[in-house]
Amino acid sequence: MNDSRTWDRRGFLRGGLAAAGAAWGAPLFVPASALGLGGAAPPSGRIRLGGIGIGNRGRYDLGCFLQEPDVQFLAVADVQASRRQAVKKMVDAKYGNADCAMYRDFRELLDRPDIDAVLIATGPNWHATASIWAARAGKDVYCEKPCTKTIVQSLALAETFRRTGRVFQGGMQRRNLPHFAYAVELARRGRLGRLRTLYAHPGGLGTGSSGWAPADPEPPREEVDWDLYLGPAAWRPYSRRLMNAFHFEKGGGLVGGGVLEWGSHCVDLCQWANDADQTEPVEYHPAEGDQATAVYANGVRLVMRNKGWLPLGSCPVRFEGDAGWVETGDNGDMVASDPALLAGRGAKVAGYPANNHIRDFLDCVKTRGRPRANADVTCHTHIACHAAGIAIFLRRKLTFDPRTAMFVGDEEANRLRSEAEREPWRSW
Amino acid sequence: MKTLRGPAGALVLAAAVLAAAAARDDERERKLIGVLRSDAPPQEKAMACKQLALCGTGEAVPALAPLLENEQLASWARIALEVIPGPAVDEALREALGRLKGRLRVGVIHSIGVRRDAKAVEGLARLLKEGDAEEASAAAVSLGRIGGEEAVRALEPALEAAPPPVRSAAAEGLILCAERLLSEGKAERAAGLYDRVRRAEVARPRILEATRGAILARGAGGLPLLTELLRSEDRGLFGIGLTVARELPGAEATGALAAELGRLAPERQPLLVLALADRADPAVLPVLRKVMREGPKESALAALGSMERTGNASCVPDLLKLALGEDRDLSAAAKAGLMKLPGPEVEADYLARLPRAAGRERALLIELAGRRRIEGALPALVAAAGEADPEVRAAAVSALGALGGTAQVPDLVKILLKAEPGERDGLEKALSAVAARGGADAVPALEPLARSREGALRVIALHAMAGAGGPAALAAVRKALEDPEEAVRDEAVRTLANWPNRWPEEAGVLEPLEVLARSAPKAAHRILALRGVLQHLQGNRRLPDEERLARLRALLPLAARPDEKRLAVSVLGTIPAGGALDLLAELAGDPAVAEEACAAIVGLAERKDLKGAAPDQRRRALQTAADKARSEGTRKRAGELLRAAR
Repeated sequence: MNDSRTWDRRGFLRGGLAAAGAAWGAPLFVPASALGLGGAAPPSGRIRLGGIGIGNRGRYDLGCFLQEPDVQFLAVADVQASRRQAVKKMVDAKYGNADCAMYRDFRELLDRPDIDAVLIATGPNWHATASIWAARAGKDVYCEKPCTKTIVQSLALAETFRRTGRVFQGGMQRRNLPHFAYAVELARRGRLGRLRTLYAHPGGLGTGSSGWAPADPEPPREEVDWDLYLGPAAWRPYSRRLMNAFHFEKGGGLVGGGVLEWGSHCVDLCQWANDADQTEPVEYHPAEGDQATAVYANGVRLVMRNKGWLPLGSCPVRFEGDAGWVETGDNGDMVASDPALLAGRGAKVAGYPANNHIRDFLDCVKTRGRPRANADVTCHTHIACHAAGIAIFLRRKLTFDPRTAMFVGDEEANRLRSEAEREPWRSW
Repeated sequence: MKTLRGPAGALVLAAAVLAAAAARDDERERKLIGVLRSDAPPQEKAMACKQLALCGTGEAVPALAPLLENEQLASWARIALEVIPGPAVDEALREALGRLKGRLRVGVIHSIGVRRDAKAVEGLARLLKEGDAEEASAAAVSLGRIGGEEAVRALEPALEAAPPPVRSAAAEGLILCAERLLSEGKAERAAGLYDRVRRAEVARPRILEATRGAILARGAGGLPLLTELLRSEDRGLFGIGLTVARELPGAEATGALAAELGRLAPERQPLLVLALADRADPAVLPVLRKVMREGPKESALAALGSMERTGNASCVPDLLKLALGEDRDLSAAAKAGLMKLPGPEVEADYLARLPRAAGRERALLIELAGRRRIEGALPALVAAAGEADPEVRAAAVSALGALGGTAQVPDLVKILLKAEPGERDGLEKALSAVAARGGADAVPALEPLARSREGALRVIALHAMAGAGGPAALAAVRKALEDPEEAVRDEAVRTLANWPNRWPEEAGVLEPLEVLARSAPKAAHRILALRGVLQHLQGNRRLPDEERLARLRALLPLAARPDEKRLAVSVLGTIPAGGALDLLAELAGDPAVAEEACAAIVGLAERKDLKGAAPDQRRRALQTAADKARSEGTRKRAGELLRAAR
């Protein structure tokens, strides 16, 4: 079916000005009202959105999407009836109708030709598999983090989005927050001198496996589709403890997701600061006390530590160079070796709102550009986190070759690069 | 027994260690295989499979393979089988292919694809023809993953002959084969496969993927197809065109895309400009510059927005012209571009232009120097701060505020001394920022301002001193308490009273504040000073608790208003001493602050580090809290602590 709609050119204009405004100290995007759009975009200019696995975090993201005048949310898919109904209620209230469709099986939602993009917030077990499935179905994807369970899955994500030409934005929204972006700019532009050490808060350094919990009576399928909830995860009986468990199958395999929790944010920012978005560290050391380190090919050290931070809120990062350092976190404050380094920073934004990040995604859906946390960026950030996790799990130093995405001379580590997915699911 | 020393000994030891480790791994594997073969419950077997993913060898395959037909354990078994190297796994998977049905077979098909077992092609090809839709589709994609001519031969007929879902899977398989061929340098063959898929009746996403591949496989030869996409009315094809416009390498592609710009519908041009800007090709920059200069507004904006990534010093003239132009949107975007243009040559360019520039351009260059922190511009900024043009002066002063250091303080003072009153705000702001950066070193240069005949200027000096800090600045502010002008004296009191906010550990501020708190002629001064003292007692972590308590005790009679009493309560609440409890109990007698005082009493009484508080003293204070607190929570807690103390 041909679709002869083209994007509203004034919507594009907003994107261009957004870039201008961001550089000159204005907010990262310019509201439609400022451009005289003054209301909803015409139907031809709207991005039609579906949601897959929208729980607590997903509803926050959805709230941000619904604030955008060029988004129309059409349908939700969730294995749990209560969540489908909660999203429908939220969306119908927004639009003042009862039009939001519900599906238990996300494949039916993806089959709809009238959906352009999907928000995926299923929890880490499904993030990559659902994203890849969506890309193969021709949809652009905004996917919450952590986006992948293994190194191989990270590569598959990048390959799939390249092959399909779809737009992907990983939920690392700090890339579109001004204080983090400013700190990264200081690092990238050499204002800190030659970079030496980057610090990321991983939010944990543990490893572990979700395991097999004792069976609970399984609810009816229309209420909870346990088989679909498990999806690519190996089979186990229904368990209330595993249902909606925060860490369920995070980081897959035996390794688990310790570094991934905040690492997918903080390591991501360090990658960006080190201009390493197309690569990852080549050396990984096991945890010593509260920290684990990695080293990039250019000699820069990445230190993932839980302690020793200034009181700047959650997800802090610190960049140190020969000529200075800067540290910032979610409370929006920045501290630097020289206050002069902070002279150019914009207004303070506390918390970690996703609005800018979502706007970035939507603009790229229209322009077919690559948003800040695109599939390649996401791939390499997650490889770095998974590799760090593997070194922690195996308790030994590992050497990694970014060209082959394999550990050098360590078969055991290489076995942990991937994990088979339960039939009929695949992430490639 | 002879012991080997030296390198030979080290090798023997290393070999022994490895052998021991291998023996441990063998033992571990044997135990795990034993679990699989036993009648252990499924969860134990599942965990054994996970462990075998790490340590399993071909020895484990005979125990793992039967699990492939177990619905609960098949996926666990494949976790191990997919990563265990060696032909035994591939043989087991191929054998299972013939044995299993339905989803379990699909799982095995996927694992075969992951392992890229070329020997399975024949079996997969058979399934592609004979399996149900799900099995056939899985077989198609796995064939694609394995690749090779045999796989291609199996897939091509399915593109026409198979039912629709399987056709689309065959298309996916062929696209995967084509990708592999392309990576092997067989571009023509790859292009042929992509073209076949494009012509097939398959799911639309496959058509779009194949179209992308068909262009990339042809390189510059794909340009006609690319331009066709960019002109297509079909949004999906146009979108793929934009994607490939970013990906297709080479100067020829850049040239063709640039030529296409002028032929595209107006609403599409900005999108192609953005795609061009994303190309990693230096040849793009002249195109973008031309668009900035001559293109329609939306396209120009798109080009301007890319300057941070694509621009360099050659863009400066164009950007300056637009920045100073009439169109607000283009001007803002151009200024943003000038701000973000990368590279030290850009800053050198701005510095070189500055001496020759005049009017708005001069003001803009000065603003850029400040915002980009071009320290080499400082002498020029100082000179410009005294120029006739008010826009230039204002820009220079602002830039000095952003960039200047101690060395610029005398210059700013000189300018201030001569400036019109209407210009003083900007100058004061700049001076305060620079003085703050300079710290105590900046203070001597502020003296001329402090000695100025004009009271307003002496007030500005006070503000700058407050920013600079240090003993000399404090002394200057103290001296200003005796200033002949009332407005200056008022400001000196305010500055002194606020000193602890900025410099919490500057002990020299205490004595003058205490004197003012007691004996300043104006009530407003006494109140400000008292607040300043209380602020200092709260903020100075170096003061011992006993001293803080003693000073509070002496000053409390001066606190007549609830605001100061509240401040005293919050200070007392941080002193874990019996004397603090007494003072808080006194303050609890004032209904205006009783609530805060009672809460503070309870907070202190709970502390394990409470010192010098006799049991009676503590009880009396808690009783006061229990009696006078309005909050039920505070009363309840006070009561609990009282009961615990009996």
